[in-house]
Amino acid sequence: MISVTDLHKSFGKVEVLKGMSCEIAASEVVCLIGPSGSGKSTFLRCLNLLESITAGTVIINGHNLGDPKLDKITVRKDVGMVFQQFNLFPHLKVLDNIMLAPLKVGKKDRLATEQKALELLEKVGLSDKADAYPSALSGGQQQRVAIARALAMDPAVMLFDEPTSALDPETVGDVLEVMKRLAEEGMTMVVVSHEMGFAREVADRVIFIDEGLIVEEGKPTEMFDNPRHERTRAFLRRVS
Amino acid sequence: MGDLLTYLPPLARGAWMTIILCLIVGVAGSILGFVIGLARASSIGVLRWVSAIYTNFLRGIPLLIILLFTYFALPLLIPGADFSQLMSGAIGLTLFVSAYIAEVVRGAIESVPRGQYEAAEALGLGFFNKFRYVIVPQAMRVMVPPWVGILLAMIKDSSLVSVIGFVDLTQAGKIVGTTTMQPLWAFVVVGAVYFFICYPLGRFGRWYEKRLSISLARPPDTLQILMPAVTGLLEHEPPELPESPESPRDAGGTT
Repeated sequence: MISVTDLHKSFGKVEVLKGMSCEIAASEVVCLIGPSGSGKSTFLRCLNLLESITAGTVIINGHNLGDPKLDKITVRKDVGMVFQQFNLFPHLKVLDNIMLAPLKVGKKDRLATEQKALELLEKVGLSDKADAYPSALSGGQQQRVAIARALAMDPAVMLFDEPTSALDPETVGDVLEVMKRLAEEGMTMVVVSHEMGFAREVADRVIFIDEGLIVEEGKPTEMFDNPRHERTRAFLRRVS
Repeated sequence: MGDLLTYLPPLARGAWMTIILCLIVGVAGSILGFVIGLARASSIGVLRWVSAIYTNFLRGIPLLIILLFTYFALPLLIPGADFSQLMSGAIGLTLFVSAYIAEVVRGAIESVPRGQYEAAEALGLGFFNKFRYVIVPQAMRVMVPPWVGILLAMIKDSSLVSVIGFVDLTQAGKIVGTTTMQPLWAFVVVGAVYFFICYPLGRFGRWYEKRLSISLARPPDTLQILMPAVTGLLEHEPPELPESPESPRDAGGTT
């Protein structure tokens, strides 16, 4: 589903990703962990071209992101993204937030789109909020709407960029619950997260990134209980 | 006073010319300013560069000079062009106003948080859809109050077109005042007419602002930041958005 080979990313003279390679299979749930500034968010943002790729190849759902003739929109239709700050559109009601992309990008039928949006809202447990504006929702509710909005495009892959870091502790659970259900349904997910509990419980694989490189990867149990690298151990000691 | 009544028709004609001029400039200047403002905020270097020269250049020249230029010099540059005074005045004012509107549009668009662009892009919205459905509606709320302020200032600045011999409201007032030997009354009437042209626009601005803030539930701080820019404009200062520590004044702009 996702194949990354020797990915480099520089901002000016600063090299943030220093040659990362990994393969992610369909229906796999991968958690990226690592200290802040390690490049895990940048890695995620390269996967849907929010950041341009400096060198290396990324192939995602059959699209080669390095291809200069590639239309970014075709990639983004296949890749949903959930942001730390939700980034809901504040001038649109919840339902319109979800329907905007299918209507304008997917050019779908309005009635069917609305039906789908309502189903997605039900799925994230917010059926009663269809006509609310984002500002009337709690952080956790906004993030669940953001997940529904990304799902409305029927993506093949979902990227989560620290989806619970900006939330009040009591609303984190609802969001993780939605993500867990999504994982169970077989969605391919790449999650940058500090939620070690979620990584341990839901992820098929955990990748530890430090200073722009993949230090170590493995099954969550191996990674958390028996990390091989000293840097991984040091990081896990600090976060747990 | 009785004399003045017989001179009301020329005053009315002058007022009508001012209204026509302002309508043309309001529409043309707004469209041109909006497009240049988009160029100012675009990610394409050349567009940003050209539009920056445009706005900085026009904001650095007195309106009077622009008007004299469009009337006396522009026809020399365009062979065969025969501009009426209305046309020259409209072109000059449009250029002037569009530069200010462009800056307001740029500021408003740049005030929309980065995350909104990214969310729109991540959903696959293309350039047009992103601006049309995500960025501009949010920027609208920020840009409308100073925009109305610029148009109000423009109505009053339009009195300068009398220098190129266009008989607008001001020029008509001057003529009537001299002929009747009653400049006091003539200019009171002229001032009152300007007020009644401006006032509805100010009211419209307030109404539109309210309407936007009802449908848009975001913290209202952006408006408060921009209000000083409006008052600044009414006093002919460039609308540099975050500066100007003055207290917010009525956007109705009847100064």
